[in-house]
Amino acid sequence: MSAHASSHSGHDAHADHHDHHDPGFLRKYVFSTDHKMIGIQYGITAMLFLAFGFFLMMVMRWSIAYPHEPLPGWMSWVFTENWKARWLVDGKVTGETYNMFGAMHGTIMVFLGIVPLGFGAFGNYVTPLQIGAPDMAFPRLNMASYWIYLLGGLVMCASFFMESGAAKSGWTNYSPLAGFADGQVVNQFMAGQTQWLIGLVLLITSSLLGSVNFITTIINLRARGLTWMRMPFFVWSMLVTGFLLLLAFPPLEAAGIMQLMDRVTHSSFFLPTGLFTKSEGLAEISGGGSPLLYQHLFWFLGHPEVYVLLLPAFACVAEIIPANTRKPLWGYKSMVYSVLVLGFLSFIVWAHHMYMTGMGAAVSTFFQTTTVLISVPSVIILTAMLISLWGGSIRFNPAMLWACAFIPMFGIGGLTGLPLAFNLADLHLHDTYYVIGHFHYVVAPGILFAFFGGVIHWYPKITGRYMSRTLNHLHFWPSLVCMNIIFFPMLLQGMAGFHRRWYNGGDGYLDKATALKGDGPNVFANTVAQHIDMNILMSMGAWTLALAQIPFIINLFISWKAGKKAESDNPWHATTLEWATPTPPGHGNFTTEPAVYRGPYEYSRPDHADDYLPQWIEPKEKAPKKTESHPA
Amino acid sequence: MEIPYVVTPRKDTGLFNSKIAIWLFLASEVMLFGGLFSGYVFLRMGADYPWPERTLPILPGLLNTFILIGSSVTVVFAWAALKMRNWMRFKIFMAITVLCAVTFMIFKGIEYNVKFHHQAVRLKDYTVLEGHLGKEMENDKPVLDHNGKEIEENTIRVKADSLTFNTVRFYKPWVEEALSEAKHRGSKVTLASDVEAVTEEGKGKQTIAKAGTPLSVDLLEEIAEVHLDARGHNADLRTAALKAEWKKAKQDNPGSKGWQLAANVSIDTEALNPRLLTEIGTVKFNVEPPCRLDFKPRHIQEGEGSSRLRDDTVVTGELLESPMVFHNIDAIDFTYLAMKAVERGVDPEVAIENSWVIQNKKWAREAWEWNKAQTAKLEDRLLKDYGVDRETGKPKREPTAKERYRIGWKEFVAMTDGADRGEGKTFLKEEFVGPDYAGREAKHTFPHAEIPREQVAFASKFTPSWNTYYAIYFTITGLHGLHVIGGALVLCYYLLFCRKMYLENPEWLANRVEVAGLFWHFVDLVWIFAFPIFYLM
Repeated sequence: MSAHASSHSGHDAHADHHDHHDPGFLRKYVFSTDHKMIGIQYGITAMLFLAFGFFLMMVMRWSIAYPHEPLPGWMSWVFTENWKARWLVDGKVTGETYNMFGAMHGTIMVFLGIVPLGFGAFGNYVTPLQIGAPDMAFPRLNMASYWIYLLGGLVMCASFFMESGAAKSGWTNYSPLAGFADGQVVNQFMAGQTQWLIGLVLLITSSLLGSVNFITTIINLRARGLTWMRMPFFVWSMLVTGFLLLLAFPPLEAAGIMQLMDRVTHSSFFLPTGLFTKSEGLAEISGGGSPLLYQHLFWFLGHPEVYVLLLPAFACVAEIIPANTRKPLWGYKSMVYSVLVLGFLSFIVWAHHMYMTGMGAAVSTFFQTTTVLISVPSVIILTAMLISLWGGSIRFNPAMLWACAFIPMFGIGGLTGLPLAFNLADLHLHDTYYVIGHFHYVVAPGILFAFFGGVIHWYPKITGRYMSRTLNHLHFWPSLVCMNIIFFPMLLQGMAGFHRRWYNGGDGYLDKATALKGDGPNVFANTVAQHIDMNILMSMGAWTLALAQIPFIINLFISWKAGKKAESDNPWHATTLEWATPTPPGHGNFTTEPAVYRGPYEYSRPDHADDYLPQWIEPKEKAPKKTESHPA
Repeated sequence: MEIPYVVTPRKDTGLFNSKIAIWLFLASEVMLFGGLFSGYVFLRMGADYPWPERTLPILPGLLNTFILIGSSVTVVFAWAALKMRNWMRFKIFMAITVLCAVTFMIFKGIEYNVKFHHQAVRLKDYTVLEGHLGKEMENDKPVLDHNGKEIEENTIRVKADSLTFNTVRFYKPWVEEALSEAKHRGSKVTLASDVEAVTEEGKGKQTIAKAGTPLSVDLLEEIAEVHLDARGHNADLRTAALKAEWKKAKQDNPGSKGWQLAANVSIDTEALNPRLLTEIGTVKFNVEPPCRLDFKPRHIQEGEGSSRLRDDTVVTGELLESPMVFHNIDAIDFTYLAMKAVERGVDPEVAIENSWVIQNKKWAREAWEWNKAQTAKLEDRLLKDYGVDRETGKPKREPTAKERYRIGWKEFVAMTDGADRGEGKTFLKEEFVGPDYAGREAKHTFPHAEIPREQVAFASKFTPSWNTYYAIYFTITGLHGLHVIGGALVLCYYLLFCRKMYLENPEWLANRVEVAGLFWHFVDLVWIFAFPIFYLM
């Protein structure tokens, strides 16, 4: 039980450490350069943004389910009287407001919620610990990265309070729509669309600093003996994520800069000749630009971005599963190779988002092929995780529940993506609720579930206490049910042709006279009539899902002070290096210089009495003198 | 706690931390500029107008290329000097590097500045004229506007008799501008009629402001406040009323769906109206006596009798003649017109002969005739030099569209000098900043011209808004310029503030200079790509 014993010396050293130089409140909690504190800052900020994005969605779901009824008080109390008068008509959500909320829901969830939570929070907290590093390679850069992210997020969200409102051209911000939105605002720096772009450039700067830091740390700060193939899958995922952020974000930055030029200097990068709008007539621009160029640049980021969201989730699940099945991750090597191939392929599939742009059959076929190819490595990873369960003595603790739910939920998300990969099928499904259902299955019950599992898994390391099991169950089961209530009907509605941007849930397409019988002359109206009632079910599901998050929020804060204390530094009896640190780890992480002697997932070795053999335990055959430095 | 491998390389990777980081950063930069350069390719391939080829003065760009390459060499010398622990030598080479960066930016600044003052206009028939806008003159003296500045003649002029502001959207600086402009011309802007409003539920109308109150931002803000209060109050009432209606409708029709009831659920306006406050969406001011107001073309949607500004202000009054007056035209460009003529299946020469500028301006006809003669000469010479293609029977080489259809400032110079195309005498300074108008004025090389507003299709300075070529040119070179400035600042920091570090840990400083040097090489590399695509191709 050397793993347990080491914790005592760890605690003592930790206490000493604090006495020597107390950095002061601001330095320790606000302007911290410690990767763990930055990770926590990222986590809390990202969760707040997620909650905000969730709230926007609840308002949208009201508009979809009850387009003719005023927003109920329990949602509208958030807004000021002036704001309601500006953006709601008789208390009802307008199309413009819905667009604004839709655009910001997507932006916030992707750029301000999931990426910072996965890469920023989990990556920051766990990666240096898992590779045995004292901190990130560039701690101050790490801090800058967080603050720039926060600034970018605030700039984007501040525009809700402006006369122009926040961005309202979808999270993809396609030109020329986005180029003209808010064009009436004289001072463009006070327009939501411009703020969105400025925020985006800041976020990209932040993720650039982050990814440079991560990759450098992983390459250069690995502990003695931690060779590439001994790195936990988590670290591999973070490495690939880092490269995706590093290389995929800059083209979007280029697009962002160009669109900013279009707005501020009135250039025409993305505005074609002869643009005519109802409000402005023939636009006073030179024209000659290319809207398609924007889409190419956007999706060149957009697709790798999907894997930036996904890989940290894979990373969390890959750590939770072996620890709780008590057997090695099945196919570790093939998973590593798959994640590398996945990273590479994700750069050459972007135009499958653009089948409808008329870029040509040959181009579409190419991207259809690469898109189908990329499903191979993802399926390898998912299958390896599934097989890892086989024959294990599974501990169904809360973290494991989330991880187990991740597999089928992400599976549904992934498989529903296949029809979208084929350009013929996509002609029908493009921009319908089917697409929404597909990627929300990936992101919400998929990625977020993995992150919830990750929070529970590393909570004892971060706080020294377990999260409450009861509250975890209260959170998990309703969430699982609600997620499916929300997203499964979307697939059905989508196949029936429900467009993703209907703010009234299809009400405008109903033939009111025949809708109940569903046998009117307008076939599409009949189809809409058959599926429109699902809207109410889905919205109910969404609001219940909000309630289901309350136990988690309570749990997160209550358990910090009042949770059951973790018995040791390695409460899950896991094998990777983060569990060799004192709990919580002090500044500098390790009390002795860590060294690694074996692969990351050595559970249930037949030649070993314990059912786990941590990476840092020296092999027995070594001279006994050395083990004294690692008290055994 | 100490981060390892800050100064010494890690054995198995052979790298210190910041060296990995800079290579990663440069990879990301490659993607950023790669995105922009592919934007250039995309825009150029898809351009539906004649892409300006070799349009920039080559000399400053070429000099800048050599300067930047030179600085890439000196930065390496500076690094080598540090490695040899020779502080003096380091300082000298670093200073040269920084000086090169400064020179580069000065040339860049001159280049930009020329463009910011150079005007282009595209006429309705796709003729493009370039030159400098004149100032409005009266009795040979420039007319000054309300700010005491000369008026550049690209404004839309309205003889305004009233201004109607949108109480929510009015743009303060414009209100102040209009006010001071009216004052400058001796007019008063006053409230057209009493502004009355119910500001409290159940009470009568109150007068917010009397007719004849002079316009001020404060007054508008006061009215806006009344409006916003009323808007909020009314929205609350209406929402509550609609909610009550829905509750009732659902009770009366159990089991019915929302969309079935929607048509029959509406607010009882008659009951509600007496409780509502007055919203004041717009407020009208009279201009007495009516006076001329100038607006930038982009800010106004002009119409006979009534025009609308971007901030939703409505200006009523007669639209005045607002010609664009050029005090020197330094290029007539028919390439766009010729391209459009070919698209329509018209002979470009015919289309040019019929163009507005040839039909109406003597100087244009003269220049065009001269240019045609020059093109004929060039055709002869090319035929003599390169001969005829045996298969097609056509000359192997022919003048380019630019040579045929564009009459630039050098052509104007050659024409007045009586020289042939390309043989006119120019001065070195002119290669940097364009023609020396004042110096050449005596010979009337560059024509004056007045372009009536109805002929103008699109006008712009040579800024990103002129066309996608200038847009991408300014974006890439501007971003590159920011990189030069950023890099130079870092190098400057090493030069000026790192003596202490040199004495304590010279190797660390050498590492830093090496890393900054790598970045500097990248900045150079970007320019090596930017120079040919913008200046030579």
